[in-house]
Amino acid sequence: MRPMVQGAAIWLVALVLAWSLPGALWRPIPPPPFPTHALLPAGLAVSILALAAPLLAWLGGPRLASRRSLALLEAPPDLLWAGALLACWPASWGPPGQVGWLVAFLAAALPGEVRWLSAALPGEMPFPVAWGPEVVRRARRLALARLTTRWLAARLPIWLTASLVLERLLGVPGLGMDWMDRVVGRDRVGLAAWVAALALLWLLSRPLDAEAVS
Amino acid sequence: MRNHLTALTLVFLSALAPAWAQMVEESLPRDPGPLDFIRGDSYEQWILQSLAGDALVGLGPAGQVVPRLAASWKIQKDGAIAFTLRDDARFADGSPVTAGDVLWTLAEIRRDPKASPTKRVFLEGVEARNQGGLVWVRSPKPPGRLLLELARMPVAQKDHPDRGSGPFSYRKDPAAWTFIRREHFLKPAVDGIRFRLLPDANAVLQALQRGWLTVGGPPARHLPEVPATHRVIIQPMHAQLVVWSRAGAGPLRLLERWRRDAFPPHLLGQNARPSRGLWPETLGFEARTIESATQPPRAPAILRLQYVAGEESLEKLLLALRERARKEGYDLQLIPAEQALLVDRLQRADFELACSMVVFDPHPWAVLEYLEPGGPMNFTGWHHPRFAALAAAARLPGDPAWRALHTLWARNPAALPMLDFRSVIWVDKRLNVEPSPLGLYLGTPGAAGWRWNK
Repeated sequence: MRPMVQGAAIWLVALVLAWSLPGALWRPIPPPPFPTHALLPAGLAVSILALAAPLLAWLGGPRLASRRSLALLEAPPDLLWAGALLACWPASWGPPGQVGWLVAFLAAALPGEVRWLSAALPGEMPFPVAWGPEVVRRARRLALARLTTRWLAARLPIWLTASLVLERLLGVPGLGMDWMDRVVGRDRVGLAAWVAALALLWLLSRPLDAEAVS
Repeated sequence: MRNHLTALTLVFLSALAPAWAQMVEESLPRDPGPLDFIRGDSYEQWILQSLAGDALVGLGPAGQVVPRLAASWKIQKDGAIAFTLRDDARFADGSPVTAGDVLWTLAEIRRDPKASPTKRVFLEGVEARNQGGLVWVRSPKPPGRLLLELARMPVAQKDHPDRGSGPFSYRKDPAAWTFIRREHFLKPAVDGIRFRLLPDANAVLQALQRGWLTVGGPPARHLPEVPATHRVIIQPMHAQLVVWSRAGAGPLRLLERWRRDAFPPHLLGQNARPSRGLWPETLGFEARTIESATQPPRAPAILRLQYVAGEESLEKLLLALRERARKEGYDLQLIPAEQALLVDRLQRADFELACSMVVFDPHPWAVLEYLEPGGPMNFTGWHHPRFAALAAAARLPGDPAWRALHTLWARNPAALPMLDFRSVIWVDKRLNVEPSPLGLYLGTPGAAGWRWNK
């Protein structure tokens, strides 16, 4: 009960901060419209990530977390992935658009998420490795089944809001840009709605935590 | 069978025809929101409205008032203006533009509490009515100013705030704002214009270099080599970097001296020039100097200047200014602030010196925002007993009252421009455009006057 109260208090403070964000505009302008067209690409990106990351973690196991190759892939910031994509994208194809954004997003997010999941998997030496590959796969599957939902709840807000750099560089309006536009435009109601939506996500993930503790 | 195949091919090709249209590819730095002639209010929204709509009058490349929806107008003795509408203007659905539509647009802007705040200010105290088919408008403001402000108010079809009569029809695509040429009295020549959202200046540069943009502004801080496909166009702008002083005219006298030689040309680039006068020369004002008797603070002294953080080129210029101040023994302390926080401090008068970029409306009355009690740029509570009478006497640009107003300000200024900005853009060599202080879009004919080279 206590963690619940503490968490709720933090979200309440975030809501109050969003509502009372200081600052003013030269001339009041209407807030930007919510980018509904970005929901489908964002949903697609999150779905691919939600499937690919657990699958790769299942295939690689906990040892994947300490692989240098994965760390190398994880190290470059979003900016570098977007820059590399723009540099490699043939000019005759036109701007990279949503497809390019999806590729850069997965390249930037997937290695980190795979390592996050792999590091959370239980050790396999000496057991269940001693019992054979069949048991290892089953053990990983069961562990990932427990992990995946909480992982989604913990990481989803970050994926939805942290794609700002990619969106700006590739010129694809999305959810990250929307969040930042509301800060710049002092759309306190819109910001509060964002905080409330993320708080709701946290609230929905609480029963999963309780189950894991018991 | 062969005929069927030919017919099918023709149908297929005709469906593809819009994709072949030679579109002008452009970018917008911010999401303008849905096209709305009543509520839309931002620079990007003005661009959308100028393409999809027509105001009663337009502004020519030199800033002069030219006919648009109104074929002619007559200024009456009492200051009212009677507009005669042209008969060949049509909305996007084909219906003619009538006086009823004009009056509905003006009334809706005044009625709707969410209407554009800028347009609501333009229409304060305005009366409008249909007088035998003519649109009759009267305002407490001088008719010259009213005409120039009406040029920024495109007319929407009655009960359709998103429908205008402009030279292009508007279509919102998932990640683009697309305008297609239509039958119009301005006779637009390019097939269409497509805007993508590119908030990052480096992304604009990348897109220009790749040939994905026909028109675009490269980053200000360093001008890379222009691609062979594009040419550079430099347009004057009604934009300045202005410093406000709550410490009187003394610090401004120092800044007036320093601005002459503080900024190295390689830092200014093509985008900026040191300002010379007190009010923008692009609006027709002569370059005057401060005539205040207030003495500047004696060195050594500390001056605290707040500015908008995050603009690298501006920060470098301010560092150069700080070095210039140091030469005379002054410590110019630069205090960065986020844009909205700085505006808040300006409005609360919580500053000693503060600077920000100001974009003026394209008419001389725009400078009165410095002087009017409660004016949007009067952050220091500037006032003078003669101001009201002189402002009322400035009925047309160039009236003698302007010179008197200028003198009042020169004797007791509260703000000083440091830099005059210019717009540097790259334009595809195949496209002919007409530069203007209003930019490429907001004038008349604006984008309707663009032509592809054959």
